[in-house]
Amino acid sequence: MDIHQVREQVEMGKIPAGVYSDPGLHQLERDRLFSTSWQFLAHESEIPNAGDYVVRRILDDSFIVVRDEDCEIRVLLNMCRHRGMQVCRAEAGNASHFRCPYHAWTYKNTGKLVGLPFHTEAYGGESGFKKSQTSLASPPRTGITRGMIFACLDPTAPSLDESLGGFDFYLDLYMNHSEEGMEVRGPQRWLIQSNWKIGAENFSGDSYHTPHTHVSVVEIGLFMEPKANRRKEGALYWAGAGGGTTYKLPTDDFDKNMAHIGYPEEMVARIHDRWSADQKKMVGEAGFMVSAATIFPNLSFVHNWPRVHEGAHVVPFISIRLWQPISATETEVLSWFVVDQNAPQWYKDDSYKAYLMCFGSSGMFEQDDVENWTSITSVSKGRFSSQIELDSTMGMGDVNGTLQEPLAGWPGPGEAHVGYGEYNQRALLRRWAQALSGPTAPNGKDGWRAPLNGDMARTTS
Amino acid sequence: MNEQNLESPDDAALVDATTHYEISCFLSNEAALLDAGHYSSWMSLLTEDIRYRMPISVTVARGDAGAEALGGMAHFDEDYYSLDKRVARLQGDHAWAEDPRSRTRRFITNQRGFVGSTEDEYIAYSYLLVFRSRLDVRPPEWVSAQRRDVLRKVGTSLRLARRDITIDEAVLRTQNLAIFL
Repeated sequence: MDIHQVREQVEMGKIPAGVYSDPGLHQLERDRLFSTSWQFLAHESEIPNAGDYVVRRILDDSFIVVRDEDCEIRVLLNMCRHRGMQVCRAEAGNASHFRCPYHAWTYKNTGKLVGLPFHTEAYGGESGFKKSQTSLASPPRTGITRGMIFACLDPTAPSLDESLGGFDFYLDLYMNHSEEGMEVRGPQRWLIQSNWKIGAENFSGDSYHTPHTHVSVVEIGLFMEPKANRRKEGALYWAGAGGGTTYKLPTDDFDKNMAHIGYPEEMVARIHDRWSADQKKMVGEAGFMVSAATIFPNLSFVHNWPRVHEGAHVVPFISIRLWQPISATETEVLSWFVVDQNAPQWYKDDSYKAYLMCFGSSGMFEQDDVENWTSITSVSKGRFSSQIELDSTMGMGDVNGTLQEPLAGWPGPGEAHVGYGEYNQRALLRRWAQALSGPTAPNGKDGWRAPLNGDMARTTS
Repeated sequence: MNEQNLESPDDAALVDATTHYEISCFLSNEAALLDAGHYSSWMSLLTEDIRYRMPISVTVARGDAGAEALGGMAHFDEDYYSLDKRVARLQGDHAWAEDPRSRTRRFITNQRGFVGSTEDEYIAYSYLLVFRSRLDVRPPEWVSAQRRDVLRKVGTSLRLARRDITIDEAVLRTQNLAIFL
């Protein structure tokens, strides 16, 4: 498919179905999107102690995310400098050193090479091979915000904070509930035969699917509202790198709304100290609480509040999920449960249960979502079907304007609309098409890949 | 979860042949109910204090913490309430993930039965291989696992009081767990 033509179609809200399965477009995604965008790797709470590590990928690049002996977080390419063997083949653990199984080159958990068998006999010592100046490679950029560790393979990319832009206002609602921060469980990991963009789009703004796709979860009495079509009263917002959906809450009082969705008083008290006046205004006076969201390109969030005991009040849960592409038609989903580390134990238990019932590999929402997404991916492969333009114009009155005016007095950054609309899906695919169609790359060459051996400095704190 | 719970207890006595046969019949019958989608009948095999767990499988170096890594996350961590809700959903008209239904076949082998901690309970270990085929041309999915069950004698029949599933993949290759293992 010709990306320039696709871009024109996407700008009009007309999406050729082949964007969800075309291998050529996926190669462009690899070359121009995933090699230049900030990618989520892990949360600090996964590696609380010196030596703790997890191994995560950016597409085919494997990285060790480790807390070194000085408790500094490092991101190290999981590839021996000698013959390219993985120096760590576990997914998680604790290690002061990583020793290559091939020839025993050994690296400290700072990445520095400290062991090289027969250095003198084989290389003539330091004058023959500069062991003291050799380390595992690190991605050119790493950044941490609200405990979330990111990396970027493009040394010229804007900083993480700059990339997030106005979305960081909404990120607090998910990831900033106390001074000490959040803790995560997981991730659950599973493979779906779906293009990665479908999940990213869905979480960014598809409140329209909830009343039908997820009607079964409403029917079994998991929610306070008897019908899922209350969804249309929520607002859709987009700011900076991402956008999301919200639910309309019943009052204009922050504390009452937080209690309504199940936050206990002590957690609300801590949240009071963490959220700005405008963030509290969004949930209180304006009465909108975040639900699903996506940071472009492939990191999503979800927040909802089901019942986890018969006849009981609801309890909220939060999840982070990464749509990690394997190919044009296959995605690995990594899904974490998130909770304030200061939350009382009963809340952590109930919130975790709420997450498991709704999202993740066994979640009742997610099961039905994935059934849709695998079907879309599969049917879009056809010679005929791939050319068909799917309609993503909801909310556009005509090509020149929007049916609905943005909400006046929205307390957060960016633009928001009440009601159903595909504003965010269009925003996401527009960014996607722009990234793929150019400007091509810093050196102007197609197929450009960011260098790996950049500096190890952290770009943001 | 304590991983040792999944190993066979060295000092526990094997059940007698009659009980072994009874356990074997229970597991085969349960598999048949699940394969046929008879979820209400399946629920009637569970005790009301059931725990039904399947921790994620994390690849760790030898000697490193296994199941406790990554916060003790699970794919399933259910009680009677949540299993009942899952079943109610599957029996409704709008559970798209299983409509049309997957064709499943649960193969249960390597059964071992041990005397439990109380007189009315048995510990049953079994291996499970599930074949799952959905729709038409897509390749079938396989799920391989071990189960450690606590089976309780209620009246004259057995009920499932606890199930701990050890899944043999770090990354599941089945698109969801809309099926019970």
